[in-house]
Amino acid sequence: MSDRVGVVNSAAFARPSGSWLRRMLDRPNVLGILLAAPAVLILLLLLAYPLCLGIWLSLTNAVLGTPGHFIGFGNYAILFHDPVYQEAVFYAFFYTICSEALKLSFGLGLAILLNRQFRGYRVARAIMLLPWVAPTVLSALAWNWLLNPQFSAVSWLLIKLGLTHSYIDFLGQAWPARISLIVVNVWRGIPYYAMGYLAGLQAIPKDLIEAASIDGATRITIFRRIIWPLLWPVTTILLSFSTIWTVTDFQLIWTMTRGGPLNATQVFTTLAYQRAINGGSLGQGAAVAISVIPIMLILAIIALRSTREGR
Amino acid sequence: MREKFGWKLYLALAAMLAFLLLPFYWMVLTAIKSQHELLVTPNPWWVFHPTFRNIIDLVTQTAYPRWFANTLFVSVGATILSVVISYTAAFAIVRLRFTGARTVSTAIFFSYVVPPAILFIPLASVLIKLHWFDKLWALIPIYTTFLVPFCTWLLIGFLRSIPRELEEAALVDGASWPRIMIRVILPLSMPGLISATIFSFTLSWNEYLYALIYMVSSANKTISVGLTTELMRGDVFQWGQLMSGALLGTLPVVLVYFFFVEYYVAGMSGALKD
Amino acid sequence: MTEISRRQLMQLTAAGALAAGVSGGQAFAADTPMFPIEKGAKLQLLRWTGFIESDDAQWKKNTEAFTRATGVPVTIQDISWTDIQAKSGLAAELGSGPDIIMGFYDDPFIYPDKLVDVSKLCEYLSKKHGGFFSVAHSYGYDVPQKRWIAVPIGAPGAAVVYRDSWIKECGYDSFPTDFDKMLDLSRKLKKNNHPIGLALGHAVGDGNTWCHWMLWGFGAKSVDADNKVAIESKETYAALKYAKELYKTMIPGVSSWLDVNNNESFLAGQISMTINGISIWYVAQKKFPEIYKDTRNATLPVGPVGHQTMFNLFSQAFIFKYSKYPNAAQEYLRFMSEPAQMDPWLTGMEGYVTPALKDYTKLPVWTSNPNITPYRDALAHNHAVGYAGSPGRAAATALNDFVIVNMFADACVNGASPEDAARDAARQLKQIYGT
Repeated sequence: MSDRVGVVNSAAFARPSGSWLRRMLDRPNVLGILLAAPAVLILLLLLAYPLCLGIWLSLTNAVLGTPGHFIGFGNYAILFHDPVYQEAVFYAFFYTICSEALKLSFGLGLAILLNRQFRGYRVARAIMLLPWVAPTVLSALAWNWLLNPQFSAVSWLLIKLGLTHSYIDFLGQAWPARISLIVVNVWRGIPYYAMGYLAGLQAIPKDLIEAASIDGATRITIFRRIIWPLLWPVTTILLSFSTIWTVTDFQLIWTMTRGGPLNATQVFTTLAYQRAINGGSLGQGAAVAISVIPIMLILAIIALRSTREGR
Repeated sequence: MREKFGWKLYLALAAMLAFLLLPFYWMVLTAIKSQHELLVTPNPWWVFHPTFRNIIDLVTQTAYPRWFANTLFVSVGATILSVVISYTAAFAIVRLRFTGARTVSTAIFFSYVVPPAILFIPLASVLIKLHWFDKLWALIPIYTTFLVPFCTWLLIGFLRSIPRELEEAALVDGASWPRIMIRVILPLSMPGLISATIFSFTLSWNEYLYALIYMVSSANKTISVGLTTELMRGDVFQWGQLMSGALLGTLPVVLVYFFFVEYYVAGMSGALKD
Repeated sequence: MTEISRRQLMQLTAAGALAAGVSGGQAFAADTPMFPIEKGAKLQLLRWTGFIESDDAQWKKNTEAFTRATGVPVTIQDISWTDIQAKSGLAAELGSGPDIIMGFYDDPFIYPDKLVDVSKLCEYLSKKHGGFFSVAHSYGYDVPQKRWIAVPIGAPGAAVVYRDSWIKECGYDSFPTDFDKMLDLSRKLKKNNHPIGLALGHAVGDGNTWCHWMLWGFGAKSVDADNKVAIESKETYAALKYAKELYKTMIPGVSSWLDVNNNESFLAGQISMTINGISIWYVAQKKFPEIYKDTRNATLPVGPVGHQTMFNLFSQAFIFKYSKYPNAAQEYLRFMSEPAQMDPWLTGMEGYVTPALKDYTKLPVWTSNPNITPYRDALAHNHAVGYAGSPGRAAATALNDFVIVNMFADACVNGASPEDAARDAARQLKQIYGT
C-alpha cells in the first residue's frame, strides 16, 4: 500500500480564490475536521458520555431510584464469586463461538452456491435475506412456537419422518435449550455472512481462478490457495461485526427463554437486564454489562490489526 | 467459466433455503389460521380453513398503520442521517487525511463495542436532560449510535478503493475540495452508499429495545414494539395478528432488497477490495 | 383492618369540602372530588395491556367519564405487563415519566420514597368499600414509613382449571381440596393419558403462583419474619418431595413453559388440569366451544399446613413524587375505584381481576356462573411476596431471579435431591438478603 506517495499538497496547485470562507473550506485540515465532526459529536454525546455514566454506575451500589455511593470494585468482586454470573460467562462464550463458526461456514457455503447466474438467482438472493430482515422479536416468537414442547411443528415433522418418537422439549432442558438458541441465531445470521461473502467472491478476479484451473489445480486447491486467502479481509470484517452483535444480543434470548431454564441460557445482556431492571440493582447490572467491554475491545483490536487500517 | 449447475448443488441450495425459509412458511400459515386451528390441527404445516380475519383485524382494529408509518419515518430519517454523516466522515478520513484522521477512525470503530442493552439506562438520563424522551424523531439520532460505526467503516473501505488519480486530476484543474467531494467522489461512491443505506434501513427497521424503552405514548410505537406490547395480552397471544404484522412489516424491506440486491453486493465488494 | 383515626376523618371531610369549593357545582352534582385538583392538570397513566379486550375498553370509558367530570385529560399508555417493571424502574431512576403507573407485586417497594403518600385515599377507600384484603394491604402499605405508597387495585387471580369429564373418569365428582387427593387424582389422570401441566419455566405469573402456593402449603418459607433465610427446612424438603411426585404426572416440557403455554395446551385438549387466571375459561367460551363445555374452575386445594396459602399476581397503582398533579392523580384513582366505574369494569371482565376492596366481591358477576366464583376468593387467603418476611427490594429481587421456581425446577426436572435444591436456593437468597 503506498497511500502516502500520492499525497497532494494542495498549495502546490492553483487553488480557487474567493472569500476567506471558501479558502478555509478548501484546507484539508479545516474541512476534514468539519466533515468528521457530526459523526464524532453524536457518538460522544449519545455513546461515550452514557458509557462513562455506566462505568461510574458499576462502581456504585446504586439501586433504581437512589443514586448510591462509590464502592470501588465491590460489584465486580461479587460477580467473580457468583455462580450465575459464571454460568452467563460460559454460555456467552459458547453461544458466540458456536454461532459464529456455524454462520461463517454456512454463509460461505451459501455464497458459493449463489455466486452463479443460474435461473432465478436474483429471487434466491433476495429471499435468502428474509431471516436477516424480519423483526427479530417476532421471528424469535415464531421460533418459540416452532420449538414449543406441545405444539412444535418441528417435532411433528421429525416424528413423521420417523426420527423421533415423542415431542422434543427443546427449550426446557439446559443443553437442548442452549443448542436451540444457537440454531436460531445461526438461522438469523447466515444471510449476513452469505451476503458479505457473495460480495467478496465477486471481487475476486475471474482470470486468477481460470489461470489456476488451466494449470490443473483441483477445486479444493483453488479454494484453499486462492479463494480463501483472498477472502480473508472480508472474513475479518464480517466476523468482527457479527461477533459484536452476537455478544451483545438481547432480543433473541430474552424473547425465547429469558435466560432459563435455571439460568442455563443467561448471557451478559440478559443477566444485566435482569439484575438492573427486574431486580433494581443498577450497580450490579451495570457491572455485569461493563465486564463484557474488555472482551469486546480485545476482539476489536484483533479485527483492527487484521484489516488494512492497522497495518 | 460458465459451468453446469449440477443437481447436487441445487440440492444443497434447496436444503439451505428450506432451513432459512421454513419459519416464514410457518408464519404465513399462522397469519391465515384461526386460533382454534393453530392449537388443534392434524398437520401443523398446512392450513385447512384459511381466514383473512387476522390481517383485517390487525389493520382495522389496532394502530398498526400508525406503527408502520412511525417505523418508516424513523428508519428513513436514521438512514439518511447516518449515511450522510458517515460519508462525510469517511471522506474526511480517507481523502482529506486531516491531522488526527487515524485516531478518529479508530475511535469510531471502537465505539461499536458498546452494547445497547447496557447503554440504555445511562442514555435515558441524557435524553431526559435534552428533553428528547418520548419524541419519535429522537430515535433518529439515537439509532445513529449503532449505524454510524458500521457505515463509516464500510465507506472508508469503499472510498479507499477509488483511485487517487481522479481527485489529483481535479485538483490540478483547480477544483475545490468540497466540489471534489460532491461532484467527483460521490457519484463513484454510489454502490457503497447504497449498501450502507440498505444496511442502516434494515437495522433501524428492526430495532426494538430503544423504541420500547424511550417511546412512551401509544402514538409513538414502532411495529415491533406495538405488536409485542398490544397483541401479547397477558397469557393469551394473538398469534394470527402477531404473525400477520411481522410479515406485513417484513415486506417493504424485502422489496427494497429485491431491487437493490445487486448494488448491495457490488457496494460491499467495492468496500472489501484490497 | 386499617382503623381510621378521628383526626384523619376530620382532615378527610375538610379536604372534601375544600375540593367541592374549588371545582364548583358541576362536578359536585355527579361525584364530589375529594382532592383539590390542580389548575390545568393533565395526567399520564401507564398501565398493562388488559388481559382481555373488555378490560381496556371499559377502563378507557371510565377514564373518559373522569375527564368529563373534572376536565382533566388523561393519556393512557398500554404496555405488556412484563415490560411495566422496566418502564417504572426507569421512571423512578430518571425522576420523569408517567404520573401514575399500575405495576405488579412489590414494584412500589423497590423505590418507596419516590412515591406520593396515598394514605388518605386508601383509608377512605378502605372505609367506604368494606376494607382491603390483608394481602392487598401488604402490597400498598409501607411498614417502615408507616404510610400507604400505592393504591391496591386487584389481582388477575388464579384457580384450578380442569376437565370435568376426565376427573369423573377417575372417580372424582369435584376437584380435591387437599394435596394428597390432588396427587392421587393427578396420578389417575396420567394413567388415563390425561397429564396435568404446571409451568416450571421463567413464567412470571403462573410459575411463581403455584410454586409459592405449594411451598407455603407445606408450612415452608423462604425467609422468616425477620427476613432471615429459612428455606432449608424439613417443610421445604416435604414440599419438593411432593412436587417431584406431582411432576411425574405432568405433560413433558413444562420446564420451558412461560405464561402462555398452559393456556394453549389446555385449549388444545392436551392437559387435564392447570392453575391459571380465568383467561383459559374465557377464551374457551369464545373460541373453543367443545373444550368450554367440559372446563371447570375450582379453588386451589389446601396443603398440610391446614389453611389456604395462595400467591397471586397483584396489581396496584402508584403516583411518583415528580408528578406535577398529585391531587389530580389521586382523584383519578379514587374516581376509578368508586362503584360507578369499578362495577362495570369488574363485571365486563367476568372475573378476570379479583378486586382488592372486599365490597366489590359482592357484585352479582361473581356468582353469575359457578366457574367465576373461585376467582372471587383468590385474594382472601393470600400471602404477599417475600412471606414470611416483609415486601421490599430483596423480596422483589428473589422473585425476579425466580429463586423459588428454579428450586422447584431443579428438584423436579433436573432430579436434584430436595436438600441440594434447597441449599442452592438458600445460597442465592442469602446473597440477595445480604446475610
